[in-house]
Amino acid sequence: MKSLFILAGATLAALGVLVALPMIFVALQAVFPHLAEGSLQNPFGAWSATLANTATLTLVGGTLKLGLGVAAVSAAIGIPLGALRGLFKVPLARLWDALFLVPFLLPPYIAALSWTMALQPRGYLEQVAGFNLGPLLFSPAGVTLAMGLAIFPVVYFAVSRSMAATGARMADVARVFGAGPWRAFLRVTLPLALPAIAASLLLAFTLAIEEYGVPAALGSQAGVAVLTTAIERRLADWPIDLPGAALLSLVLVALALTAYAIQRAVLAGRGFETTTGKPAPLAPGKLGAWRLPVALLFGAVALIAVAAPLASMLAAAFTRHVSAGLSPSNLTLANFAALFDARGEAWEALSTSLALATGTALLAGAVGLLAAWCVAGRHVPGAAVIDGLALLPAALPGVVVGVGLILAWNQPFWPATPYGTWGILLLSYTCLLLPYPVRYVSAALSQIGANLEAAARVHGASAARALRRIVLPLVLPGLAAAMLMVFAVASRELVTSLLLAPAGVQTVSIYVWRQFEQGSVGEGMAMAAVAVAVSLTLMLAATLLRRRQTA
Amino acid sequence: MTYAPSSKLLATLFMTLTFGLASGQAKALTVYTAGPGGLIKQLAAGFHEKTGIKVDVFQATTGKVMARLEAEAANPRADILISASWDTAQDLDQRGWLMPYESPNAAQVPARFKAPTYVAQGISALGIVWNTQSGTPEPRDWADLTGPQFKQVVTMPDPALSGASLDLLLGLQNAQGDAAWKLFETLRDNGMTISGPNAQALTPVLQGAKAAVFGAVDYVSYASVEKGESIKVIFPSSGTAIAPRPMMILKTARQADEARKFIDYVLSEDGQRAVADAWLMPARQDVAAKRPLFKDLALLPETSVSSASRADVLTRFGRVFGQH
Repeated sequence: MKSLFILAGATLAALGVLVALPMIFVALQAVFPHLAEGSLQNPFGAWSATLANTATLTLVGGTLKLGLGVAAVSAAIGIPLGALRGLFKVPLARLWDALFLVPFLLPPYIAALSWTMALQPRGYLEQVAGFNLGPLLFSPAGVTLAMGLAIFPVVYFAVSRSMAATGARMADVARVFGAGPWRAFLRVTLPLALPAIAASLLLAFTLAIEEYGVPAALGSQAGVAVLTTAIERRLADWPIDLPGAALLSLVLVALALTAYAIQRAVLAGRGFETTTGKPAPLAPGKLGAWRLPVALLFGAVALIAVAAPLASMLAAAFTRHVSAGLSPSNLTLANFAALFDARGEAWEALSTSLALATGTALLAGAVGLLAAWCVAGRHVPGAAVIDGLALLPAALPGVVVGVGLILAWNQPFWPATPYGTWGILLLSYTCLLLPYPVRYVSAALSQIGANLEAAARVHGASAARALRRIVLPLVLPGLAAAMLMVFAVASRELVTSLLLAPAGVQTVSIYVWRQFEQGSVGEGMAMAAVAVAVSLTLMLAATLLRRRQTA
Repeated sequence: MTYAPSSKLLATLFMTLTFGLASGQAKALTVYTAGPGGLIKQLAAGFHEKTGIKVDVFQATTGKVMARLEAEAANPRADILISASWDTAQDLDQRGWLMPYESPNAAQVPARFKAPTYVAQGISALGIVWNTQSGTPEPRDWADLTGPQFKQVVTMPDPALSGASLDLLLGLQNAQGDAAWKLFETLRDNGMTISGPNAQALTPVLQGAKAAVFGAVDYVSYASVEKGESIKVIFPSSGTAIAPRPMMILKTARQADEARKFIDYVLSEDGQRAVADAWLMPARQDVAAKRPLFKDLALLPETSVSSASRADVLTRFGRVFGQH
């Protein structure tokens, strides 16, 4: 029992440092505008001014519009494709699945900058096709589309998995009783998938309102004003406005938490028992004459959402003179060469990012495993607190975590602080990405019979030993998958890196961002290409490795 | 050993944190600087070679550098600040944040580019940067960009982010008063966009999405021209602002001696040649430049502006262009 308490205590302490502390300081700063000077004067002094400000209303309105728009775009693309993929034998299905994972690897800010290079007047599209989509891109609709194209896979994967699990079996029953194919789909198949659809759309909404890079890259030209960029501006532009940044952070967290709470409520108690004891072969339907049109549809979406931004990124990376446009004589490797002779700075940024991502994967994996294990059916004191803290970051925008970490660790009273070292980046990435391992491990734990661990305990193993020898091996596949996801996202995180990276520390995202700030498009894109290639290779290697293990 | 896994985890956590702390305490000089990124890399490397002192650089836009300095006021980390706006130095000097130091190498720096607590690293000027293949007529003055040929194709760096751009805004306001604001309103009505810090405004002009930048710092553009891009830097006939880039040692510097050595190095002939190679005007008059010097340019009248009015100017600009 003792080791159980030690583990629970350690988990709670880790979550306190990683999640609770920064959030407490955001709340404190929002309430006490003079907190940074060590004074608790004038509580709530900034509230009326900020909340009554029409700019705040504009920001909230802009954020909501963007979130709803992105959810709508994700629904329009993700639901039909997901339904087709889940219910039918789609040609090249594996390929589409793999391609729709790419948006997770391609950082959103790089996608946005690639879209700019491609669509603006005299951009690559105009050079190739003779027309441009600049007016569309630099408009609220354009920003929504750009983000929707990056976020729709969340909906696609949720819908396709949910529909594949249900299969056509239930609809077949309806058909037997006389329903037409559309009626069976609308009355049976679709309702069964509704919880998954609703949850994934709310997730798309949350991801959209938390995104910083795309609004930062496109927003000011497109007339889109959102909370994330406004918070960053108050915090990172002179003169700074700590109370304003903290207060807008609370507003953003409230929006995100509301969406998250609705998502949980939608999913709670909506589980359908669609698999019974007997294994029923789920035969996906045949498309028949629709094979080609469906394949073309998938191809078109992959072309627009995946191939176009990647091609634009590569075009910029391999171009000598931006003003000379696309032509064979303008091709060069100079941007890549420049990356690696600039006194090793690019190597340093790359290795820093990879090291930080590895550290984050290990730390988030360890804390996430412990948190999920403490919560799962064990009567540990504080289990509810552990659960809440471990999943809270799913609703925390990166910019808010950054604000919180600065406010928390930049206080003069700490005897030592990770602020000003790369440790603060590790803290921020781990906080933001903790929910991945928690969710994956919880899912895996729920499938493990309680008697296995109990048997170990009966035979004298301590809780810690049972965790290590029984639980860990069983949840390892899920944990490893989650850690890979953590690695991929951490290696490209932008906004907390910009806010928190100390002097002398650069990550890939900062390097690319600064190259663009400096007007060196080519070198920025070359670095982006290298980073995407590295994470793609690692993901593929990991997938192959796992397939070999399971085979 | 029933508690092994938990203690191992804790130890890992602890070690990561303390290692992070320890690495921050190495005796390196910390320099916060607004661009150009290539120049500070060059200077840091040259300085390290010469003195063996490592330089940790935080490089961003003037707005971000100043914001970080301000955010860290309770717990300062920077030893040296190099900004792109002379005003920031005057402001910090008034607040009493700066350590007086006159480098022996500053003897060749003209009096207008130095003060007891700060000295120019180099000087840039602001101009119109124009894409020569854009099909628009070559502009000669600021007001030319309000014409119908320049509808929707002019962009300007955000003065809240770019120190040099803020200097231009102040210069125009000082010289022309309300006429300057009229100019900005006309430019806005003509479809001028505000796009990030100064070099970011250049990118759409390179590809041709925009035809001209209103008030770009010249050194970034000169570097692009050298690389072969088809753009041109034009200094408007009615006058422009120069932006000396002040460097200063903060009073809170932990490595004051090293900081003084660094200032000496930047003002040495080697350092100033690096500055000239970055297409800036060197602060020292006895080092050759690769580009026109400030004496050759028509300049807007200079005045020093208090920090309150600088904030007002930024707010007013933000209102004109609907920023939040």
